Amino acid sequence: MSKTIFEKSEKGQHAYSLPKNDEEFKMFLPDDRFIRKTDISLPEISEINLTRHFNEMAKRNMGIDNTFYPLGSCTMKFNPRVNELVASFDGFTKCHPLAPAQSVQGNLEIIHELICLLSEITGFCAGTLLPNAGAQGEFVGIRMIAEYHKKLSHFEKTEIIIPDNAHGTNPATAKMAGYSIVSVRTNELGDIDLDHLKSLVSEKTAGLMLTNPNTLGLFSKVILEISKIIHSHGGLLYYDGANLNAILKFVSIESMGFDVMHINLHKTFSTPHGGGGPGSGPVLCNDKLKSFLPVPRVIMKDGKYTLINDDKDSIGKIASFHGNFGIYLRAYLYIKLHGHYGLYRIAEQAVLNANYLKKRISNLFTIPFPQHCMHEFVVQADNYLDKGIRALDIAKRLLDYGVHAPTVYFPLIIKECLLIEPTESESKVTLDQFVEALENIVQEIKENPEIVRNAPHTKPVTRLDETLAAKNPVLHA
Amino acid sequence: MKFTKTHEWVESDGNIATVGVTNYAQSQLGDIVYVELPKVGMKVNAGVEAAVLESTKAAADVYSPVSGIITEVNKELTEKAELVNTSAEKSGWLFKVRLENFSELDAMMNETDYKSKNSV
Amino acid sequence: MDFISNQEIQNKEMLKVIGVSDVQELFVDIPEILKLKKPSIDDGMSEYEGIRLMQSLAKKNSYSEFDNYLGAGAYEHHVPAIISSICSKAEFLTAYTPYQPEASQGMLQIIFEFQSAICALTGMDVSNASLYDGASGCAEALLMSLRINKDRNKVLIADNLHPNYKAVIEQYLCNHKTKIEWIPSLADGSLDINKIEELADDQTAALLVQYPNFFGGIDDILPLNQKLKSLSVLTIVSANPMVYGLYKNADELQADIAVGDCQPFGLSLQFGGPYVGYIACKQELLRQLPGRIVGETVDTNGKRGFVLTLQAREQHIRREKATSSICTNQALAALATLIGIVWYGKNGVREIALTNYKRASYLKTNLNKIPGIKSVSQQHFFNEFVVKFDCPIEKVLKIFRENNIEPGLYLKPYFPASNQHLLVAVTETKSLSDLNRYLAIAKGLI
Repeated sequence: MSKTIFEKSEKGQHAYSLPKNDEEFKMFLPDDRFIRKTDISLPEISEINLTRHFNEMAKRNMGIDNTFYPLGSCTMKFNPRVNELVASFDGFTKCHPLAPAQSVQGNLEIIHELICLLSEITGFCAGTLLPNAGAQGEFVGIRMIAEYHKKLSHFEKTEIIIPDNAHGTNPATAKMAGYSIVSVRTNELGDIDLDHLKSLVSEKTAGLMLTNPNTLGLFSKVILEISKIIHSHGGLLYYDGANLNAILKFVSIESMGFDVMHINLHKTFSTPHGGGGPGSGPVLCNDKLKSFLPVPRVIMKDGKYTLINDDKDSIGKIASFHGNFGIYLRAYLYIKLHGHYGLYRIAEQAVLNANYLKKRISNLFTIPFPQHCMHEFVVQADNYLDKGIRALDIAKRLLDYGVHAPTVYFPLIIKECLLIEPTESESKVTLDQFVEALENIVQEIKENPEIVRNAPHTKPVTRLDETLAAKNPVLHA
Repeated sequence: MKFTKTHEWVESDGNIATVGVTNYAQSQLGDIVYVELPKVGMKVNAGVEAAVLESTKAAADVYSPVSGIITEVNKELTEKAELVNTSAEKSGWLFKVRLENFSELDAMMNETDYKSKNSV
Repeated sequence: MDFISNQEIQNKEMLKVIGVSDVQELFVDIPEILKLKKPSIDDGMSEYEGIRLMQSLAKKNSYSEFDNYLGAGAYEHHVPAIISSICSKAEFLTAYTPYQPEASQGMLQIIFEFQSAICALTGMDVSNASLYDGASGCAEALLMSLRINKDRNKVLIADNLHPNYKAVIEQYLCNHKTKIEWIPSLADGSLDINKIEELADDQTAALLVQYPNFFGGIDDILPLNQKLKSLSVLTIVSANPMVYGLYKNADELQADIAVGDCQPFGLSLQFGGPYVGYIACKQELLRQLPGRIVGETVDTNGKRGFVLTLQAREQHIRREKATSSICTNQALAALATLIGIVWYGKNGVREIALTNYKRASYLKTNLNKIPGIKSVSQQHFFNEFVVKFDCPIEKVLKIFRENNIEPGLYLKPYFPASNQHLLVAVTETKSLSDLNRYLAIAKGLI
């Protein structure tokens, strides 16, 4: 059983060292009235034991650097180490966010240039890097739409339309921004049901949020019509950039009719997922919305970069300082290494890898959408229900085969689904090994379903009691 | 007992109606880990969310089938949320309402109609 | 360059299996009118050239050579060397969110330990897995208290909160029908406690204060607690967690919710991010906590394990009824701050906090002795204070900068009346000779 670092505490031991207190400092003592009187129940641990503890934790985890990670909707591509190298340069890490502009020209140049590059790539004319993650990017984009309507006195616009297969952050964010949600259906082809959309749109429609390709990995053939319908009612179109990897440099997002979008730097632009963060969710927009972008903004004036902290139309601030600057360094280098030329290859390869995988496993699962997919695709494991096997069981058994399971049970509208996204990083051999693992599991389902139903067997723990965790939450040591 | 399309049941005794979710509903939700109940004294309207059932993977809104004032909530569920699974239509009851409009009950399904549409 | 494995040979084989002759056939669903042209010139660069490019950009930052006395929510502290070696491990750096717990026990346990460390520092009962930063933490805490006190329409917020945090709060609350009452500061930057007494009523959902406040002072809010508790007003304290090494923790202050930014433990300045917000609260408020939470449980063999729990509150299940839209937590950055906290450990957090206090006191006291310079913020503080200069502030900044010192944050852009004032932060990174150099330059100003 694994011990927590608290349980490894040994009285008197410690890792820290501190500069000694000079004689001149000794006289200063804080007022007893404010001093903490309670114990600080943190562990006492030496550096070697601290190190071993976290190394032990690493052994109980897996990353892209170790294994294939075909998580649909997450874009688990290779995280180049050169990005990590440059992000650690003292010249970047030692800069205080409130340092005077003239002393951080390098940082301001990177912010300015990265926005220009992302704008070029997506077809928009302006943007911000400030949102700390995709969900915060969505919030900024929807807030900008709200301020746009407010400025034009469109007070009747109280609704945002969102597809039923959208990622949960979409409705959560729209709600946070003060809108009510109207849900539009996906048809059996996996595309937006245009008739349903036409029935939903009205003068109350502030906008529509869309991912294209959608969360099923399918490109909406009716995107230009969707754009016309929404715009003709005075609404704006928001692009959730989670699936940008499928059409990066292939299609201008702006030309599809979108007014504003967010990008996930930790998906499309390879910044590391870090076990759940930090991410970054830059927002790009067209002329209509650019005056509403948050502050601070970087501009070039008299040959120098400078900051604008106030702007009358801006929605205001969204981050404590400049957002996740360390992440921009990684994304910036990634783009410069590729150039537009290299970026163009990404979408092609991502889509090719996905279609190859889909074809190879099409005989193992139900394929709800037989047409060519984009960078990810959905299969259903419902054909094994009669053996008592669900998508979850297959996902767990894959862990025994040294592969991280694909996304399961998302999108919510597809029963027993697995959402698979190989990304452009993977070689054909890796893809073939994944297919072989699935073929083996399918064989096991036929001959020995128990081993799948009770998987995983080779991990530090077997299946965990999530009901107990929710009923009797134990949330700290 | 009367039933709604959204899987709530109501049993009235004079002007007090007891409300819960059906056995079918609990079977769809999985192990209930937490129940968010309305406050006693709160006004509820028919068809409006009054309680929330949480499992590990889902959260389901419970709509009050009737309008009125909440007179009592099932305190046992604080410690034993699983009662909703084991006895949805009896000891897993959620809240009681002092009825305002008896005609609301007439519009609901009876047991045979409901169970013919929703079998576990 | 790119990082793609498959080349022409493999791609040809794959195309054959799919049954198409050209990869463009996979893009037929995209209207031709939308398709962009393939770039003809390779404008990428090699890894070596990329590194040279970034080195030249880093060189354009003169600030990294300065002695930094800026604070205001981002503090320069020693970053233990062990942090980068652990955080760069593949199994942490390149892992995804731990949605498959059996394959992610390492990260889940780390988050559990982070939650525990936050509870230990703040004295709260439960913590989440972290938020984006301190500013959004304050906003989320206010939204949380508005959910809990759902029939109330007013919040009281200390005006001596960080100006950027105030702006982010206004962003998050802009759609709420909630009225924000800003509690004014007194001349020394301290909170006007009497005003809170006056304004708190049964329509008040919460009071938010910063600790230390933006000007570095410690506001004593304990006398208010009885009144606030009797009115069921939730108290939120936004704190630099290092202050809890020395001063009363959030529980001793009788707060209900504790938020802040963990950056001081284990994260370098990085021009503002990624940092790590934290939010922790009393047990009875647990179900309204936003964001990810990790809990302990057992597997089928009764072995201890960790899982993401209480997920029914989150966006991927509750969607528009979620406690927040937040999807990510700061994971890897939170790991860095966890290591920073346990590197100091039980006794070390007090020692580092005290070291900060002593060095800041030394500078503050000795600046005060120089004619024409006066410290004008509260007597009780942690590691930051406000200094007023008689001579023109442009001269002050110029002279210090010529000596490669950034002496403090000029406050006028934030508080127009503070046109001769600098906010100065002193940490353990400043030695006696550094501080004496600062003092010598200050003496030479007048």
